[in-house]
Amino acid sequence: MVHISDGVLQPQVWISGFIITGLIIVWTLTKMRVEDVPKLSVVTAAVFVASLIHFPVGPTSVHLVLNGFAGVMLGIFAYPAIFIALILQAVLFQHGGITTIGINAINMGVPALLAAGIFRYGMKFDLKNKETIFGAIAGGIGVAGAVLLLSIELLSLGEAFETVTVFVAVAHIPVIVIEAVFTGALAGFLAKVKPEILEGIR
Amino acid sequence: MIGHIEIDRYHALRSPLHNWDSRAKLVSILTLIFSIVLVYDLRMAVMGLLAAIVILLLSRIPVRFVLTHIKWVFLFVSPFLFILPLEITDGRIGIDPYGLWYGSLITLKALSAVILIFPMVGTARFDVTLKALIDLKVPNKLVQMLVFTFRYIFVFFEEFQRIVRSIESRCFELKTRIYTIKTLGKAIGMLFVKSYERAERVYNAMISRGYDGVLRGGGEFKMQRIDWVKSLLIIVLAVGLHIPWLWVR
Repeated sequence: MVHISDGVLQPQVWISGFIITGLIIVWTLTKMRVEDVPKLSVVTAAVFVASLIHFPVGPTSVHLVLNGFAGVMLGIFAYPAIFIALILQAVLFQHGGITTIGINAINMGVPALLAAGIFRYGMKFDLKNKETIFGAIAGGIGVAGAVLLLSIELLSLGEAFETVTVFVAVAHIPVIVIEAVFTGALAGFLAKVKPEILEGIR
Repeated sequence: MIGHIEIDRYHALRSPLHNWDSRAKLVSILTLIFSIVLVYDLRMAVMGLLAAIVILLLSRIPVRFVLTHIKWVFLFVSPFLFILPLEITDGRIGIDPYGLWYGSLITLKALSAVILIFPMVGTARFDVTLKALIDLKVPNKLVQMLVFTFRYIFVFFEEFQRIVRSIESRCFELKTRIYTIKTLGKAIGMLFVKSYERAERVYNAMISRGYDGVLRGGGEFKMQRIDWVKSLLIIVLAVGLHIPWLWVR
């Protein structure tokens, strides 16, 4: 899935992953107010649990990534939230890898930042159901961006990886669609039920 | 799924890994994981896997427990092991030796790394491991996020199961259709609303008990000579994996 496990990538790629993630984390930590920490953790945990849901797609099932939604909810703090979720996922579920936490955080966190920007931009419009529409776009972009980054990293390994890359990318097309619909419904629901959540934590 | 959040189920056993200083254990085994992943020699990768298995056996964590957890890793690496070596030329499928070599290397490294997670964090209570992070000077906000998130995961999973039970009792079925996705989206929305409200209550409760934004604790670990010896052994092993001429000749 979107997590790269240990040993797949070239060292220069995952080491740069740690450096870039480290810089972004330091930047977001300086922006983070102390009183936000408990609330951010609550949302991180909720996203973590929600990403465990499996959707049936024909004979198999896919699970949500929800990085786009993390961006919608948390703004730039989606990045540290995803970083924390990845550490817990690697340690508690052995999903992903240890050495790839940095690069995986980029793969999911950078599209999350993009989704956050798009959603915030979309809120400026005076549209009916703007939360649903831009929530769906954010959700789709979150996964699509993650798959794109992942594919670039896999292709960087050489020609031998072309088949695997195509396999991984195609496998994620249903996830992009599901995630867009899901995040749209979720953002629309929150806008109706508790609109302050969508503007509260950022 | 939640049954899998039990990484520290065997924290109460007695073994050389259980009584190792948590800080030293984290740093040393992390070094070993990074070292194994940096290996690009198949023989050394096999050595790494063997070392990981020996360390796991020393920790006395039941192998069956580990196997049920790492079956997912097989799933993740299987495309690399089985698809990568395939070479399609002129419509015929052949085996590409480079792909086979790289695929095996990936599998060996991924397995070693994941096996080592168990002796690293499975041999102490998870909150003790997190306390060690404070002493290792990890930014306080990050440790707090780890601590809080870890605690809330259990709460929310139960909450989510309650939500699922209530929509299932209203004849909801998981099927491949848009309606399923939308309904689950709203159900998760409810989880967020509940968790947001809970966060406010918990935060107020924390404030009234003197929380000022800093997680205190740590400082209770003490390195003994045996802790240094264990750490040194692991670090020597980690470095040794990169000096093949010592082993092979």
